[in-house]
Amino acid sequence: MAASPIVESYRTNIDSLLGTSSTKVVSDDEDSSELYSYVSDYSSTTELVQAIADLGEQMSEEGTVLLKNENNALPLTAEETQKISLLGFSSYYPVMGGDMGSSLTENEDTDADTVDFVEALAAKGFTINSDLQALYTSLESTFVTEVESWGSTITYTHITTPSTGGVFTSKEPSQEAMAAADADWQSSMDDYNVMIITIARSASENGTYLPGEDGVDSSQNLNQTDPLGLSDDERDLIAAAVAAKETNGGKVIVLLNNASAMEIEEIAENDGVDAILQIGLPGGYGFYGVADILSGDANPSGHLADTYAVVNANAPSAQNFGNYTWTNANSDYSINSAQVEAEGIYIGYKYYETRYMDSVLGQGNASAAVGSTDGVAWSYDNEVTYSFGYGLSYTTFEQTLDSLEVDLENQTVTATVTVTNTGDVAGKDVVQLYVSVPYTDYDIENGVEKAGVQLLDYEKTAELGAGESETVTITADMQDMVSWDSTSENAAGTTGCYILDAGTYYFTLGNGAHEAANNVLAAQGCTVADGMTEDGDTSLVATWELDELDNTTFAYTKNGTAVENQLEDMDLNYWMEGTVTYLSRSDWEGTFPITYENLTATDEMLDVMDNDNYEITANGDASSVIFGEDNGLTLADLKGVTDITDESWTLLMNQITLEDCMIRTGFGGTSTKSIDAIASPEVIQNDGPNGIYSYTLGSYASAEGSGDPYTVSEDDPNYNYKAGVMANETVIGQTFSKELAQAYGEVMGNYSLWSNLTIWWGVGANIHRSPYNARNHEYYSEDSVLTAFQAAATVTGAMEYGCLAAPKHFAYNDTEINRSGMAVFATEQAARENELRCFQSAVEDAGCLAMMTAYNRIGCYTDNSHTGLLIGILREEWGFLGLMSEDFIQTANYSVLKEAVINGVTMSCNTGESTMAAVSAMWDYWTVENVSEDETLLTALKQAMTWQAYAIANSNAMDGYSSTSRVVSVRTWYDNLITCLQIGFGVLTALCILKYVLALRKKNA
Amino acid sequence: MSRKVSSGLFLTGLSAILSIAGLIAYMVNTGTSYFASLGVSPVVAGCAAAAVVCQVVYLAAGLKGQPVWADILPVASSALMMVATITFLSVRVAGIASIMTFESNASNQADMTGAIVGIALCLVATVFSMVASFFDITKE
Repeated sequence: MAASPIVESYRTNIDSLLGTSSTKVVSDDEDSSELYSYVSDYSSTTELVQAIADLGEQMSEEGTVLLKNENNALPLTAEETQKISLLGFSSYYPVMGGDMGSSLTENEDTDADTVDFVEALAAKGFTINSDLQALYTSLESTFVTEVESWGSTITYTHITTPSTGGVFTSKEPSQEAMAAADADWQSSMDDYNVMIITIARSASENGTYLPGEDGVDSSQNLNQTDPLGLSDDERDLIAAAVAAKETNGGKVIVLLNNASAMEIEEIAENDGVDAILQIGLPGGYGFYGVADILSGDANPSGHLADTYAVVNANAPSAQNFGNYTWTNANSDYSINSAQVEAEGIYIGYKYYETRYMDSVLGQGNASAAVGSTDGVAWSYDNEVTYSFGYGLSYTTFEQTLDSLEVDLENQTVTATVTVTNTGDVAGKDVVQLYVSVPYTDYDIENGVEKAGVQLLDYEKTAELGAGESETVTITADMQDMVSWDSTSENAAGTTGCYILDAGTYYFTLGNGAHEAANNVLAAQGCTVADGMTEDGDTSLVATWELDELDNTTFAYTKNGTAVENQLEDMDLNYWMEGTVTYLSRSDWEGTFPITYENLTATDEMLDVMDNDNYEITANGDASSVIFGEDNGLTLADLKGVTDITDESWTLLMNQITLEDCMIRTGFGGTSTKSIDAIASPEVIQNDGPNGIYSYTLGSYASAEGSGDPYTVSEDDPNYNYKAGVMANETVIGQTFSKELAQAYGEVMGNYSLWSNLTIWWGVGANIHRSPYNARNHEYYSEDSVLTAFQAAATVTGAMEYGCLAAPKHFAYNDTEINRSGMAVFATEQAARENELRCFQSAVEDAGCLAMMTAYNRIGCYTDNSHTGLLIGILREEWGFLGLMSEDFIQTANYSVLKEAVINGVTMSCNTGESTMAAVSAMWDYWTVENVSEDETLLTALKQAMTWQAYAIANSNAMDGYSSTSRVVSVRTWYDNLITCLQIGFGVLTALCILKYVLALRKKNA
Repeated sequence: MSRKVSSGLFLTGLSAILSIAGLIAYMVNTGTSYFASLGVSPVVAGCAAAAVVCQVVYLAAGLKGQPVWADILPVASSALMMVATITFLSVRVAGIASIMTFESNASNQADMTGAIVGIALCLVATVFSMVASFFDITKE
């Protein structure tokens, strides 16, 4: 009796664990093989997993960034590859994925086993210093971090991320510890004089680096001023290697094994350090690529996806990164903290380069002391070590801007660029097209901010041999350079519109945002004499003039929807007038963010934050919303029907019952369950951004004889393979290669076909608002355009194979602190140009059919119930037609089921028995009696299920289904066992009662 | 004819104490930060309270001669505690899963610990109640 409800609630998970199936598809078709429309590129699981491995290697070859290479220290000669001394415990125990979320799935005894750095070097023919390896191995116990979790202890043998309230603890052995372990370790490097030092910072969901010394374990006394800065033990190690170089004549190379930008100015400025490589978190095969770069078998072509600042804590965004609790917090409604993003649009390079340009131009008090490292005057050289988009190669390239044409009518900017390899070795180059838009008096008067330069588009060349050229044509979307003006009139007759200011627009190329900024400044007549860090190249600049302000060309989105303000209530000033001063380049000093803490939510805000914002009432004509008709259709009849206005969709969805709609929107976790009324199959959901890793390749794969052309037998060597092996998303961003991002989507799409795992929550598209967010490894970049295009390319690739690749977390999951309840406040301009633009291309251009929402609040409303965000922007402006799941919110109040459905969410992430009783027990308002009288809610329910069915119909989940297919229940062995036990205990109970009665009679007699 | 207390008295008393402890643990847990929004389940609270009443009445009846009708009480209390335990587990399992993965912080861990302790108390109370039902309160 006890087991039955638990089994019914968690049947999907139990089936996955036990390898059983509780449903099967029955079809009248004789030849089911005709029913499989998606085709894999691979003929075996061996080919599949090896393709994943090959891509993982290539991702790191092209995503590793060469930041410094003095005297061509890299690549190593063949002789030097035999003299490797690996220093730093992270060389032997590297961070290959997140501690939690996008963690590496280690695969052993498969056709593509994962490797760490040491194994990759060995496989590539390197020879390493065994004395040092023995030294670090002997100290292994000191590298261990144990995290207590109920029922188990999770052990990490690599550097770990602090929890959301924790501090960073350095694990690098001190010089004393190393000497104690092996007194001769330094002399062992005489014969192994290529010294590679790995410095690591881990990444994790549910983890946070707190800015400054607050984020460091002060008891260590390691002179560490920031968790993303160096500790003395790390400094001492580098110093020891540099000192050893003086005697052994070797090289010192530093590998940065991190996803959040570290503070590495002292390494960059250290003349003893010959080279720096940023390798990200390389995943299961990326170290092959890193080895190839070291040896020169691959030429680095990666560029930074984030700015590497001298002091991260000086950034405007860092002023409001932390746990700022409401003074009137109330856990009953998940009212915990508020985060005011007072930096406005100025995150990452949009801050550093804009302030730099203003400091050169003498504008806006840009050189004031506020936010400066020395506390005297802000100077770019003192603030930035490496700029966004920067990266070196083993060869040299020359780029010429052959032509640039702005076509306002078609909303495109077309640049033709010739790239020539002027060096000696083959390599790839990236064309980065930046735009500098005018910042005018109108902007100052109306609170519109403009970045000095912003990335507009990019393309990577093919591999060019020495002397070879390629002409690259970039056709950029002008939507990515327009600014949101919340005060502008619009076509909807309200306010809020995208605008282009009157003035001069500068388009330029550059190896990073800083070079682009210098080119623009040069075109404006500035030189080093004006305070520039170096002179720019005016030949790489094209200009375009706009005579008057344009607020009409971008007044409609690509699907013809008139834009208007949708996020006014995301601004804290909407609720508490005059509270926030947002950063403005008109006055850097006067508007630099203060920390907004100890805020008290007003009664009006609390009224919204109790999360009860939709009242179910008897309204409209409820009978007009049809349920339960018999139109003789199944979901398979609409396979591939991409026109959602096709009448067949109405007829099909009229068959669904109200109870189906209510249960399936309520319980959508783990998998979207089957629905008999429309013959919709169960569709399995999977994490994550480093590859599909929730289940093994074989967990849900078809068996031979099923008709499925892609089967995985239990004796297949790759049956237990898990695909959480790709380099982290920052590395994918650093490739600046849409082709590689698409290839990643394609290989995961293939994996989806073989594994029958269709929904992939795998496209982390939140922006890197701050390097302190330890979950940045699951997102691409600080730049919205780079994020948007890499995300869209991956979605495109996956969808070719019917995989529902889902961007997440829409939107603003840019901190892990108190994320279940965190109220995020920002301006609509910042939202539309940074965070939301990251998702826009995946919807508008790639046509994604799945999306995951976020834990946090948008202003006072839960993310899942914000109408402007989910309906106004996502569904209407962008035209999103797919399924949409909440994140893993498990509390009834905060998961706001009725409000979420009204706002286009198609399923919560809860699980439970597929009964109205179960779903009503969780949300007491969610009863047929209540809902059936509310036409508005009924319509929303029906619409949500239509979107969900539409996405499934256009996915590989429908492979194998025909119009005669039916989903039928199957009794598993555990069902039979439970029934036997119930019968057995029933019989025992009856016997006990009988014996009791007999004993009673005997006693009475 | 004198009546002596039997081991059933102690076992039933102990199961009653455990049931009360389980009920208190549940009520405390419903007030914790993480689980407060789930409210109080009438099934858990009602069944556990009813089980305690059954156990107390059974004790009292046993001390006064153990009438036949009272024999149903330990069976009822066991069944009620089982229902309470399973329901308690059901309404907490998703939250526990969330805390163990996505929402792991000190506060939530403490709330989760409270929930697990409460569930364990209810389960132990159920087992003791079952065992106690095999023993008389008094013997002649």
